Amino acid sequence: MSQHREEHIELCSGYVLGNLSDTELAELEGHLKEGCGACETEIHRLARGVWAFAGATPRLLEPAALRLKVLETIKEDGRDRSREGKKSDAKRDMRRAAPIPLPRRRGVPVFGWISAVAAILIALAGYTQYREATRLQHELGAARQEISRLTQELDSERQWTAVATAPQTRVVELALTKDAAKAGATQLHARVTYDPSTRQAIVSVTDFVPPSGKDFQLWAITKSGPSSLGLVRADREGRAMIRLENAGDPFTLAAFAVSLENEGGAPTTTAPAGPVVMVGKIGT
Amino acid sequence: MRAGDSRALEELYDRHNGLLYSVVLRIVRRPADAEEVLQEAWLQIWKGAGTYSEARGTVGAWLVTVARSRAIDRIRSEGSRQRAEEAAGADPPPQPTEDASANAAHRQMSERVGRALDKLGPQHRQVLELAYYGGLTQGEIAERLSAPLGTVKSWTRQALVRLSELVPQEDWT
Repeated sequence: MSQHREEHIELCSGYVLGNLSDTELAELEGHLKEGCGACETEIHRLARGVWAFAGATPRLLEPAALRLKVLETIKEDGRDRSREGKKSDAKRDMRRAAPIPLPRRRGVPVFGWISAVAAILIALAGYTQYREATRLQHELGAARQEISRLTQELDSERQWTAVATAPQTRVVELALTKDAAKAGATQLHARVTYDPSTRQAIVSVTDFVPPSGKDFQLWAITKSGPSSLGLVRADREGRAMIRLENAGDPFTLAAFAVSLENEGGAPTTTAPAGPVVMVGKIGT
Repeated sequence: MRAGDSRALEELYDRHNGLLYSVVLRIVRRPADAEEVLQEAWLQIWKGAGTYSEARGTVGAWLVTVARSRAIDRIRSEGSRQRAEEAAGADPPPQPTEDASANAAHRQMSERVGRALDKLGPQHRQVLELAYYGGLTQGEIAERLSAPLGTVKSWTRQALVRLSELVPQEDWT
C-alpha cells in the first residue's frame, strides 16, 4: 500500500473538480485504489463543497421544448435497442433454420480413442486450475475491498471517538423549556457532545417520539441567530445518536436547541417555525 | 430508473434539469450547445443509472457531475480554451431569462454560498469558477492568475472546505 502523504490530501480538491493533470490523477487514483480512509473522507467532504457551489449557479429558464427532445432521445434509444435485439433473434432463427452439415462419420481407431481421452483429461485439469485461479482472484479482490472498507470505518470511528474523549470537548445537556409542556413534549432527553477544535458533535437523544405529522429539529444558536443542524429522526423507541461534521463555529456558537416542527422541518434554515422545546447553553 | 422505468427518469428530469441546464449553459455559453449537451448527458444517465452509488453523494450531485463533464468535454473538443475561460469569468449569457420559479431553498443556498466565498476573498471564488465552469487545470489557473500552483491548490481547498460546511452530512447521502 502506498504511504499516505499530505500531497495526497492536496490533490483531493482537484480530484473532485476534475482538474488534476494526468500525472496527478494517476498518482491519486493509484493511492485510492489501495484504500485510504483519510483521502476518501476528504473527497467526500470536498464533493459536498462542489455540490454547494454548483447548487448556487444562477438559475436560467430552460427552453420548454428541451424536455420533449430529451425524452424523445431516450425513447429512440430504447427503440434502437429493441430493434438490435430483434435482429440478433432473427440471426439465431436463421442459424436454426439452416444447420451446418456434419461430415460423414468414420470409424475411430483404438489409439485415437486413447489420445482423445488423454487430451480431454489434460483439458479438464487445465480448466479446473483456471477456475480455481479465477475464484481465488475474485476472493482476493473482495477481501481487498473489505479491508479498504473496514479501514475507512476504523478511521471514521477513531475520529468520532476523539470527539467524545478530547479534553476540550463540551457536554451540553439540553433542558425542557416552558413551551415543551404546551407542545406535549415533557419526556425528552438530549445531550450534545461538542468538540470546539474540530466543530464535530455527537447528539444523543432518548424519548424523541414526535406527535403524528411533526418532526424534531436541532438548531445551533449563534450570535447571529439560529442555524438548522437538521431533523432528529429517532427509532421507534425514540432513541438516536447523530454525528455532526460541523455543529458550528466555537467563537459564535452559544447554545443548542430543539424545536417541534411540522413534518419535514421549518421552512427556512435560519429560524424555527414551531415551539422551541429544549435548550442547552455551551459552558466555557 | 435502474430497471429502465422511463417515468422515474421524467421525475428526475423535472426535479433537476433546471440546475443542470443552468450549469451547462454557463459552461458552453450557447443555448443550442447546452441543449445538445443535455440530450447526450441524459442519455448517458439513462444508460448508466447502474453506476450511481448512494455512498458517493446525492442523485442530484451525480446528475450535475455527468452533465458538467459532458459540457467540459464539449468546450475542450471544440479547442476553444478562450471560450472556456470566458465561461468561467463572465456572467451568464443574457439571452435566456432568469428562472423566476427557482425556489426559496435555491435562493437561500446561493446567498449562503456567496457570503461564504465573500468571507474568504475574491481569489477563492475565482479559482472555483475557473475550475468548475471553465474546466481549467490547476496549472492553467495558476498561470492565468499569476499565482504559485501551491497557492491555487490551497485557495481551492479552503473554498471547498468552507462550502462543504453548508451541506449537512445527513443531506448528502
